[in-house]
Amino acid sequence: MLKVNEKTLEVISSLIFAFLIGAIVLTLLGYNPAKVYIILFKYGYGNLEYLLNKSTPLILTGLAFSIPALAGVFNIGGESQLYVGALTALLVAYYTRNPILALILGGIAGGALGLFIGALRVYRGINEVITAIMINWTMFYILAYLISAKYHDPKNPHESVPVPSEARIGGIFIIAVLIAILYYYLLNFTELGYKLRVSGLSPKSARYAGFNPSKLILSSMLLGGLAAGLGGALLVLGITYAIDDTLSTVYGVGFTGIGIGLLGRNNPIGIIFSGIFMSGLIIGGQWVELKTGAPPELADTLVGVIVITLAVPQLYREIFKRIRREKHA
Amino acid sequence: MLEDVFVLLSNTLFSMVPLVLAGVGEVITERSGVVNIGLEGIFILSAFLTTVVTFYTENPYLGLIIGILVGALSGLLHGIISVYLKGDQIIAGVGFNSLAYGISILSLVALWHSHGSSPSVEKMPVIIIGHLTIPPMAIVAILVGVITWWWLYKTPSGLKLRACGEDPRAAEAMGVNVHRTRLYATMVGGALTGLGGAYLVVGWIGQFTKFISAGRGFIALANVAFSNWNPLMAVVGGIIFGFFDALSIYVPIKIQKTTGRIITAESNLFRIIPYIGTLLVVTIIMKKVKAPRALGKPYIKE
Repeated sequence: MLKVNEKTLEVISSLIFAFLIGAIVLTLLGYNPAKVYIILFKYGYGNLEYLLNKSTPLILTGLAFSIPALAGVFNIGGESQLYVGALTALLVAYYTRNPILALILGGIAGGALGLFIGALRVYRGINEVITAIMINWTMFYILAYLISAKYHDPKNPHESVPVPSEARIGGIFIIAVLIAILYYYLLNFTELGYKLRVSGLSPKSARYAGFNPSKLILSSMLLGGLAAGLGGALLVLGITYAIDDTLSTVYGVGFTGIGIGLLGRNNPIGIIFSGIFMSGLIIGGQWVELKTGAPPELADTLVGVIVITLAVPQLYREIFKRIRREKHA
Repeated sequence: MLEDVFVLLSNTLFSMVPLVLAGVGEVITERSGVVNIGLEGIFILSAFLTTVVTFYTENPYLGLIIGILVGALSGLLHGIISVYLKGDQIIAGVGFNSLAYGISILSLVALWHSHGSSPSVEKMPVIIIGHLTIPPMAIVAILVGVITWWWLYKTPSGLKLRACGEDPRAAEAMGVNVHRTRLYATMVGGALTGLGGAYLVVGWIGQFTKFISAGRGFIALANVAFSNWNPLMAVVGGIIFGFFDALSIYVPIKIQKTTGRIITAESNLFRIIPYIGTLLVVTIIMKKVKAPRALGKPYIKE
């Protein structure tokens, strides 16, 4: 019980720390932090339906980072896995007008890309962080090419062909929650989940127990990629219905997922909440831009500080230890 | 034809500089046992502050010095997190990249009310020999690689540094202060990366743009693995990856010139060359490499 409390405390203290640093940065840049934060929270969390919709792909890219992370693999390729998921779903929906097929194939496309990164690590020994970044950029430019050269909407030249109205879906947040619950179940109540967690916590024990680490890397990357692919699919089928040629509709969703996974402490249920929290931050950031002219990169800055502060649990552990010692003294 | 070779060669020399500097810097960092994947963030942050300083002082050399300082301070921050706070090095690096990007763009807008790029700034001179344009920093980068190799393999302090990355406990027994060595190594690595970031502005492009680093920090990381953690090979790797980079800029321009066709959408396809090329080279070479054994693990004294 105490352990859970400490984890929550870690998250809360890192958030407070991040907002303090954010306030300093804002002040230095000549903005009024109190005013910015009030707008951020008031508008960011003001419209519940919009908030939950927007959080859907973020929750899924959060899972895309966290499931492999639990197995000790760093999937920072959620970005490109979301791209291929979105593109596949868009094209399948456009040609077949079948949303279910689009969703499934979008997920599979993301999963396949995740598996590819895992396979390069397992069979060629290439660090997954490097592979993922190279593939992120490659996919970015391939997608930009396809949208602007092959699949642009003649009626709307800065956008891709649209998802036809009969292939659009609602209730995407519910789908994301169901997937998160499924992943929670998988991690905590199945053999695969148990093996994944053990090999992440202690690769040595996993090896002694006779687990096949290669297989675990591959399955965790498949599961992660699948989540990001579904995130991309839900994004185009349920929110944007098209991709613009500067890719602003998809760019950054995967990177933000890293922060969301960390903020949720790699727990699928925690990720639902951290996804909603971060979604509000991003929406609020756009409102701040509208109202004060502060650029939307404010959200990147805050996410960066949050992620850094989350990287050093040791710091909070030390602080808590001191506090407890003082209490006892 | 011969002219094309010279153009490509010149472009390669320009592209290789940040990849060599950050690559060699990261070799130093990783040889001590610390991974810093925040190179991309250091590039952006130092490039931005170099632009600011050069813009106001009109002195690119002052800009260069600021770039080095920004890099060293970023390295110091990462070193403190990794070495003393035992933080997760990969996560801290990811966070730093996001923070550096955010702060740079926020400041860009605050200073110049532009969301894409800064005004042009003074650049450093280049050396021109016949058809060949050579940035002096390319020579500096190669020298840095050679000196670093000599230092790591031929001096006692280089041996001590490598010991920290291979077997910190044995290094400690040898009388090396593992924590301090790792902190310094991370700072030096950051400083060299900062120099690379400053070069992007005052040695090459002449202004700060939103996507100025364009994944070069990660290509530099790939270069480290490619080099098998050897500074001399990092110079070779920088030239190879720099060539891909040069090719991706050169090919679409050449096509436009020869066919007279303006290619806009297709230019996106050429931009994948450095990333695919890096991935291919690393895939083919990687199997044989061996990272420092204690890489990425915090050293906890008992």
